[in-house]
Amino acid sequence: MKPLYVGATADTDREALTAAREFLSAQFGLPVRETELPGVDFAFDPRRNQYGSSAVLDMLARLCPPDAAKLVGLTERDLFIPVLTFVFGHAQLQGRVAVVSLARLRQEFYGLEPNRDIFLDRVRKEVLHETGHTFGLVHCGDRSCAMALSTRVQQIDEKQAAFCPACVRQLEHGVTA
Amino acid sequence: MKTHWHILVVDDEEVMCESLAAWLREDGYAVDTAASGRAAVELASRQDYAIYFIDLKMPGGMDGIETMMQIRRLHPEAAIIIITAYATVDTAITAMKEGALEYIVKPCNPEEISLLVSRTIKVKNLQRENAILRKKLTRQYHFQDVISKSARMRGILDLAHEVASLRSTVLILGESGTGKELVARAIHNSGDRASKPFVAVSCAALAETLLESELFGYEKGAFTGADQQKLGKFEQADGGTVFLDEIGDISPKLQVDLLRVLQDRTFYRLGGSEEVRVDARIIAATHVNLQQAVADGKFRDDLFYRLNVIEIRIPPLRERREDIPLLAQHFVERFAHESGKEIGEISDGAMKALMDYNWPGNVRELENGVERAMVTCRGHSLIEEDFAFLHENGALAKGWAVPAGMPLQEMEKRLIAATIQYTHGNIKEAASVLGIDRSTLYEKIKRYEIPR
Repeated sequence: MKPLYVGATADTDREALTAAREFLSAQFGLPVRETELPGVDFAFDPRRNQYGSSAVLDMLARLCPPDAAKLVGLTERDLFIPVLTFVFGHAQLQGRVAVVSLARLRQEFYGLEPNRDIFLDRVRKEVLHETGHTFGLVHCGDRSCAMALSTRVQQIDEKQAAFCPACVRQLEHGVTA
Repeated sequence: MKTHWHILVVDDEEVMCESLAAWLREDGYAVDTAASGRAAVELASRQDYAIYFIDLKMPGGMDGIETMMQIRRLHPEAAIIIITAYATVDTAITAMKEGALEYIVKPCNPEEISLLVSRTIKVKNLQRENAILRKKLTRQYHFQDVISKSARMRGILDLAHEVASLRSTVLILGESGTGKELVARAIHNSGDRASKPFVAVSCAALAETLLESELFGYEKGAFTGADQQKLGKFEQADGGTVFLDEIGDISPKLQVDLLRVLQDRTFYRLGGSEEVRVDARIIAATHVNLQQAVADGKFRDDLFYRLNVIEIRIPPLRERREDIPLLAQHFVERFAHESGKEIGEISDGAMKALMDYNWPGNVRELENGVERAMVTCRGHSLIEEDFAFLHENGALAKGWAVPAGMPLQEMEKRLIAATIQYTHGNIKEAASVLGIDRSTLYEKIKRYEIPR
């Protein structure tokens, strides 16, 4: 079975990277390797002061190691797609790469006191969510499932850091890595 | 239930188009994209979409408003959402006046789009459910409701369509569960009797005396408990159609009564002396081999010839396996709507199990099988394990046993005879099915003395 990869730039929160790696390994029962990624300045849009997630995904697809089942990139930058004000993450559905932005997962972003536990909990859920998309899972109607759509950070907090039984079953029959 | 809903995103900017499409696909929708208004109209002419996201400003002489107007000409009820980065009051008013469902300014909040999409799909679901319920309520089935891509079935439906406006009696033959009543209803609804009643009677379900009073009605006092006059099915169907299901099961006495109705269009109510005249077309159906029943003396030959003016023979499902995927998917969608379960697909493994099964109960068994699988299904698609009960039925086609101990020539003779029967005596088709040329087949028919 091919390993999963998590990657980040040197300036990315190391604790978040470690949490993502350990959590994905436990969830998928696969080895998870870390890799260092270049910055994403090329995706910067000065009008929006944000980074285009589609361009970041293109870069990850180019850099995805040949032996990787999937590569999930973490970035401190705030991501967007043109029609939306922001995205928490972006994935190739049933593809090989995904990216998760840490920017809006911190309490500080919303003017609140920092809280590492809440932050790392959100990182795990979003990494699991975007990785689920790369395995072909779509948004789940079960609000407590990690594959539920989150358009607000409160919705990330409401869901579990785990797939619901229906999504697990889908994975069992669809995981082709 | 999302996967069967298709969304079209129209924008000349590729990144905008593809990123919104990808975001919607993550939500479980099937999404197409178009890079121009013209391309969008072309796609819309082939199929209607549940939602159209159209960018307002597009080059090439066809902007978002013009694109919307052309799509609305094709699909007046289309749910169109106009997207723009340059909002003005004028364009917003124009968009809404021309029938846009919403006018959104990009970039917009993910929650806003998510709510807009789910609200629109909810309305679409309700509209579809309403149409299904309305159809169920009125049972106004038409030929387009018969799901089939089988050439044989299309030929049958063409024949049924041709005879819809005639008054002639129709005899529909086919195994149980092949959809005989559906075809009968479609004939009725496609003819000039459509506005009149369609009255169905299951001849096998009732005892002889009960069936007699059901068909012909009775006068007050005709028997104990007949405290008032009751009209029978023939009178109820006056001007319309009487569908006599399982006609092969009726008693000799009823066969005589029925023959009189067919010959004279008249009958007497039970206990009555007044002749009643009706104008009801008769469509009869049976799973019994009526010709054999006539030969055995169980069914009157004069009644058989009266009934068999136009014969429609519906093939069993195992002889039109190409329809299994279509029918199965249709039932999945229908039960998903009815049960609210988010099951949209059938896995390749499950479909293979369905294709391998022999379906002795035909379309009805497939319908029940899909419903049962959906009750136990825990995922978003039906998998092979959900159809494990087919194995329990012990009738998987792959379980067909080669009759060991039979001479090869006898085996070949039986296979050729069965194939000729299957192709209704069409030698060219039989040769093609058997994978041999026609002259070889003729030679074998002669050698084995196989009747044609």
